[in-house]
Amino acid sequence: MRRVAVIGVGVTKFGKHERTCAELFAEAAADAIQDAGVSPRTIQAIYFGNVVGGEGERQLHMGPQAGSVLGLPAVPTTRFETACATSHSAFRHAVMEVGAGISDVVLVGGAERVLNLPTDVATEYFAFASDAVFEQSTGITFPGVFALIARAHMTKHGTTEEQMAHVAVKNHRHGALNPKAQFQKEITIEDVLASAKVADPLKLYDCCPFTDGAAALVVAAVDVARKSRNPIWVLSSAAASDSMCLHDKKDLSRALATERAAQAAYRQAGRGPEDVDVVELHDCFTIAEIVATEGLGFFEPGTGGIAAEKGWTSLGGKLPVNPSGGLKAKGHPIGATGAAQIAEIVTQLRGEADPRQVDGARVGLAHTLGGNAATVLVSLFGSE
Amino acid sequence: MSKVITLKAFFEEARAGRLTGIRCGRCGELAIPPKEFCPACHERAWEPVPLVGHGAIASFTVIRIPPRGRAADSPYAVALVRLDEGVSLLGRIVDIPLDALKVGLPVRFRPLLQQDQTVVGFGPA
Repeated sequence: MRRVAVIGVGVTKFGKHERTCAELFAEAAADAIQDAGVSPRTIQAIYFGNVVGGEGERQLHMGPQAGSVLGLPAVPTTRFETACATSHSAFRHAVMEVGAGISDVVLVGGAERVLNLPTDVATEYFAFASDAVFEQSTGITFPGVFALIARAHMTKHGTTEEQMAHVAVKNHRHGALNPKAQFQKEITIEDVLASAKVADPLKLYDCCPFTDGAAALVVAAVDVARKSRNPIWVLSSAAASDSMCLHDKKDLSRALATERAAQAAYRQAGRGPEDVDVVELHDCFTIAEIVATEGLGFFEPGTGGIAAEKGWTSLGGKLPVNPSGGLKAKGHPIGATGAAQIAEIVTQLRGEADPRQVDGARVGLAHTLGGNAATVLVSLFGSE
Repeated sequence: MSKVITLKAFFEEARAGRLTGIRCGRCGELAIPPKEFCPACHERAWEPVPLVGHGAIASFTVIRIPPRGRAADSPYAVALVRLDEGVSLLGRIVDIPLDALKVGLPVRFRPLLQQDQTVVGFGPA
């Protein structure tokens, strides 16, 4: 495999938009191409992520549509879907295509738009990522799935609702420093604990919002990357799966796919959790951040809640997690999230994330989880 | 020769009040169908086994923001139940007050009918 780098990033404002997924992606993609300092004609493939466009916009075949709006109608496109991990899956495949020498420059990213839908309809569409026959039939929702995980973690380890609230407060504090974030507003532990119940024990402020937005990355081979202004190197990119149905999982308090993907990503990169300076991870719900910090090897099983409570994962703490505000405050346009997380890691490793910059960050990790924790991607990045 | 229990067969049996598991003829792994290879040993030698339908709540939640079409049911509880035989199933909780739910509470399988669809339910043991 050739060395591969991210040479350009683009992210739209996250929140509510009146534009289609294809329009949003095209804006992020054009920004990424200009950030990379390459001509649009150097793009040899587009790897595009979207999840519920078929339902939300009555639009399939969004890849060529996005390419057309971008002004690159002749570039081959492929659409990816792995629920909320979608554009990180697309990224891994782009890295493989460039690493294998098939293409030198690939555009990768995703877009999602759901705020044009009523909440109950968006809730229904997101639940399509759980098993239709065994799970959707019971009326389970995604907050419900993570509520089951939360209660399992609380039962096994004594994790508390206050510890989960600390994750929300921290990510809102970070999001207030990110002009692209959907929520740029600090909240308190009391706000979280007093917020409306969504799926017990999860409350409104334990949950990420519905979000419209897009993100894009330009992935390039070593020879192109060396000529770009500030390439960030892909040290590894790994994927793992776990059983789809909750009933097949051996331990709800753990995310086995996270553990498997992390082990593979560390092995490929020749690094370990102790080498990581900054993390963007999948905090779709506060409990998801706690489980992920354990599965990625940063904290012992059962201590992720304590780490959040003690501030270890805050900007200025021993391992800043989600300096962008995370899915919780930055927002979660599901088909764009993986690419947006990687864009934040690239921005951090370039040293361009002021005022939320993690000082001296040289190695970063992005973690994206899909569905019932059945798909997980973990990638490691380095400034050299 | 493996006996495949299809989703359709599983839910037709469930509709009649009977839960069916599958046991690997090689390593003894017990699972919920449908599956082709055993995820533990990769043999293809399943035998159907009846499950008695009794278990205990392993985790539960109360859904208060439901998906489209379920507002009339809300709030309602969904639980992951560990059956006595050692496999788990997700199901809607019925006839148990929401404030009586707790991890470890014994429950019993009960088929629920929604239009033409059979849904896994659990009620008092």
